[in-house]
Amino acid sequence: MERFFQYFFDGLSVGAIYTLLALGLVVVFRGTGHLNFAQGEMAMFCTFLVWQIQDWGVPLWISVLLGMVLGFLLGAITEVVLIRPIAKRSAGAVFVITIALFLGLNSLASMIWGALPSEAMPNLFPDEPDDFVRIFGAVWRYESIGILVVALVLCGLLFAIFAKTKFGLAMRAVASNSDSARLVGIRTGTVLMASWGIAAAMGALSGSLVAGSNGEVTSNLMFTVFIYASAAATLGGLDSPGGAVIAGLSIGVVENMAAGYFPLWIGQEMKLSVALLTIFVVLLVKPSGLFGSTRIERV
Amino acid sequence: MTALLEVTDLHAGYGPIEVLHGLNLEVAEGEVVVILGANGAGKTTTIRAISGTIPRRGAISMAGHDIGHTSADAIVRHGVAQVPQGRGTFPDLTVEDNLRVGAYVRSDELEEDLDTWFGVFPRLAERRDQKAGGLSGGEQQMLAIARALMSRPKLLLCDEPSLGLAPLITKEMFEVIGRLNRDQGLSVLLVEQNANLAIKIAHRVYLLETGRIVASGTADEISKDDSIRKAYLGY
Repeated sequence: MERFFQYFFDGLSVGAIYTLLALGLVVVFRGTGHLNFAQGEMAMFCTFLVWQIQDWGVPLWISVLLGMVLGFLLGAITEVVLIRPIAKRSAGAVFVITIALFLGLNSLASMIWGALPSEAMPNLFPDEPDDFVRIFGAVWRYESIGILVVALVLCGLLFAIFAKTKFGLAMRAVASNSDSARLVGIRTGTVLMASWGIAAAMGALSGSLVAGSNGEVTSNLMFTVFIYASAAATLGGLDSPGGAVIAGLSIGVVENMAAGYFPLWIGQEMKLSVALLTIFVVLLVKPSGLFGSTRIERV
Repeated sequence: MTALLEVTDLHAGYGPIEVLHGLNLEVAEGEVVVILGANGAGKTTTIRAISGTIPRRGAISMAGHDIGHTSADAIVRHGVAQVPQGRGTFPDLTVEDNLRVGAYVRSDELEEDLDTWFGVFPRLAERRDQKAGGLSGGEQQMLAIARALMSRPKLLLCDEPSLGLAPLITKEMFEVIGRLNRDQGLSVLLVEQNANLAIKIAHRVYLLETGRIVASGTADEISKDDSIRKAYLGY
């Protein structure tokens, strides 16, 4: 039972990071119908910015907040300058643009911080060997608890914005019917710009958590995280924020359990495949994802 | 009566195809104006050109302001609300959220207005917390109208509100629009194929054929004109 709780908890903490990145994908997809393939690289780039800021002597947590603000700007500017002019002409071309952005940001990071850049990133949470509590016999490291709490608080904040604010209502309206959204006076351009900004800011936080946990920030920081996150977004249903949270956490738990209980024939090397196989099966049964809307429209 | 909406030499279309070839029309304050026309005459294009959802040329003046080059979201702020063809509700939002988002351009006295429209449309009140996508066609049309009215418009644009509705529901809906006009002085510009019902609540009528206004007159004049009656009213 101890083992179960250990794998479960470790899975939740890892899943929380996938969730942050997946929510960013969902926020953009809901508004525009585009999958942002550069979401992971935007997060990586912002994490380098965080590293740079704290390297200049700014306190770590303030650096993370500044990184999120810069991330918001990066996302917003990307939408206005790169995505919007193309999206008007061809939806398929947006796909190409996000791939180009993926490669471009990766190269840009190498240009600024050196070829195959790697910088030592301090952990955001206490990380000494004895920084843990035992709950149900399992070791809950402060670091993992911290990641989980920060991620869940941010998700909660995002959901509150969606449900309770006028801006959230506008975002939901644009996602549901963007033509009618304009007809009630919503500046849909502003909403889309903000959606990209929010997505990139969440990526910045997600990247900082990963880098802090790994102890370094590298240009391939988010490769696997992005695969898990896009899997989580797909599994949850691309247009469902709640689905992304549940799917993100579940994927973290499933891969950790699989790797933990079957260390010989799954282990750390194959756990990604297990997660993806699970998703494959779910999507075969339910193509719109667990919580995605198969839209019912009565005429 | 002073003109609330004045459209002069309006051209609009889709890409290289021009649908409207220089339209002139006006709606006075407190007036219900109906544009009748067959399929493809340019009815929907007219509505969309006025509300700014498609590119257009020509002068459009709303309550003295030039809105000929104004974007759709800003035109709402000039007091124009549109009920688009095919309802145009937000299927993933609840009925109440649909109405709240309808009042996006204002923020005061929202609750009062919600009560007002739930009073006018009791069916919507019953379904307050349901997603709009699950409503029947008639309920969605009522919701689309209520949502448009939540912005407290001076002018309501309706694009074929009877499309796809059962005759009884259509009748009820025109009664509601007529009542809003009489009781609250709401000005309405409505395009329809269903001429018989629309003409009953109209003060004035325009006939639209292939992108041009070919005749206009008071509702009485139009319904008394033999050739027009045969072509548009079918009796």
